[in-house]
Amino acid sequence: MPRMSQATASIRKPHGATMSVVGPDHPAADAGKTLEVRDLNHTYNVNGKTTQALKDIAFNVSAGRFLSIVGPSGCGKSSLLMMLAGLLTPSDGTIAVGGRPLTKPDPTRVGVVFQDASLFPWLTARRNVEFPLFLRGVDKAVRREKAEEALALVGLERFADSLPHELSGGMKQRVSIARGLVQDPPILLMDEPFAALDEQTRITMGDELLRIWEKARKTIVFVTHGLSEAIYLSDEVLVLSGRPGRILDRVVIDLPRPRSLEMMAQPRFAELREAIWHMIKA
Amino acid sequence: MAYDQSVTHLPRGREASAGMSLEAKARICRYVIIAAIIAAWEIVPRLGLVPRLFLPSLSSTLTVLVAQSGDFAVQMLVTLQEVGMALVFACGFGILFGLWVGSTLTVRKALLPVVSALFAVPLVVLYPLFTAWFGIGSASKVVFASVYGLLPTVLGTAAGAQTIDRQLTQAARSMGATRLQQILWVTLPASVPTVLASFRLGGALVIVGVVVAEMMMSSAGIGFLLSKYRTQLNSPGVFAAIILILALAIGFDLAVQAIERRWTGSRNKAAGRPADAP
Repeated sequence: MPRMSQATASIRKPHGATMSVVGPDHPAADAGKTLEVRDLNHTYNVNGKTTQALKDIAFNVSAGRFLSIVGPSGCGKSSLLMMLAGLLTPSDGTIAVGGRPLTKPDPTRVGVVFQDASLFPWLTARRNVEFPLFLRGVDKAVRREKAEEALALVGLERFADSLPHELSGGMKQRVSIARGLVQDPPILLMDEPFAALDEQTRITMGDELLRIWEKARKTIVFVTHGLSEAIYLSDEVLVLSGRPGRILDRVVIDLPRPRSLEMMAQPRFAELREAIWHMIKA
Repeated sequence: MAYDQSVTHLPRGREASAGMSLEAKARICRYVIIAAIIAAWEIVPRLGLVPRLFLPSLSSTLTVLVAQSGDFAVQMLVTLQEVGMALVFACGFGILFGLWVGSTLTVRKALLPVVSALFAVPLVVLYPLFTAWFGIGSASKVVFASVYGLLPTVLGTAAGAQTIDRQLTQAARSMGATRLQQILWVTLPASVPTVLASFRLGGALVIVGVVVAEMMMSSAGIGFLLSKYRTQLNSPGVFAAIILILALAIGFDLAVQAIERRWTGSRNKAAGRPADAP
């Protein structure tokens, strides 16, 4: 229970930029800070009306960690992820990956997996995975080799020549993960990647993702609206408030690994889930 | 299983009793009409119901077509070259420009109304200007036909590019695609069905543009030949030229349709749409 009280207590801290949320130190922290977000604020204009979407966001993610971002709908968690991907420019603040600022998409540093897989329907699984390499003019033989490596990592080498419509929802997402990892970036960003899948596939894909994560040794930042999913998968969960999205807390998930479905029935799992749920609800 | 039967049972029984599918009946009907037209073309002038100057019989037309095939071939080649070049300009440039306009919000807002307005202008009136600028040789025809076919191609392609899945371009952007790479490798393949439809329409207009230009002011081409035969009151010659122009237009249309079918065959399965969806 000590961890729990820490989590709930920290909500009551003032949300200054200094509060910030460099999460609890962890043995893996000395592996280097792969992702650093500093003083990030975001506002946007719709018909002359200014809306603040994100406020005073600052956090680090250490190399190899699995971090989930949760929050009520409309809290800007997906926007935050798009900023980490270099797809959206924040009004203010900096994002650094591997010590260098990130201002535009860079698939060698950050791979992205979208909610609906976003595979090109006219390309086979292999060609889809090759696509980022093709854009950079990588030699055909190298492209093929790397794509096959990435497909093997996600367990789809036998489906390399299938078109996306011939694959199931879960398989499409695995191809999408392979595409995100094909240039071996240290970070993989995932925007509600399993939201469109059915319950069973979502659970299977969660385990599959953990397997890939452990094998590829990547840092994963995972946006989801599923609290159980976030707790089940993550080392830490970043909890955002409703609009404007601020960091309410960073909860360390102290469940042992490897994770298993039985853990969901454990009291600790329920405690964590309830604590996070109370933060979001408040 | 039981569910399956209940669904298929009713309509099946009724259609089977009709004996022949609607599709087959329509096809037979179509052949009968075509045969009737061909027969009438031969018989009506022979019976003297219509003066031969107005409508020469099919056989005399075909005789001229064969007897002067060398002449026709030379002029047809000129026309084909002009059509080919105009297609490259009109459709090549038109498709790229349309994709750019359609996929870029600010450009679309700025330019699309202008292109739409130009589309309403009867461009034929500009042709005398083009002959003054480029002479009465091939150049003026190619330019005229290009402009003529360009606008609908731009409009159609822009409309297609506008409706593609934004997620795909965003995914490409996350993989580091430049603006040009997004257009070439994502927007273009994703909007192939609309691009092909615009190409079909633009291409048909290019053919019209070339032939009309040749008929008005020129020194070569199948349209020029048609005009020449008309002034010589050589009706079989005129009709022979018309047959060739029709063949050119239909041939182009069939070719594009074949490409369309090949693409939509694999593509629509992907999207889970019926094959006749746009």
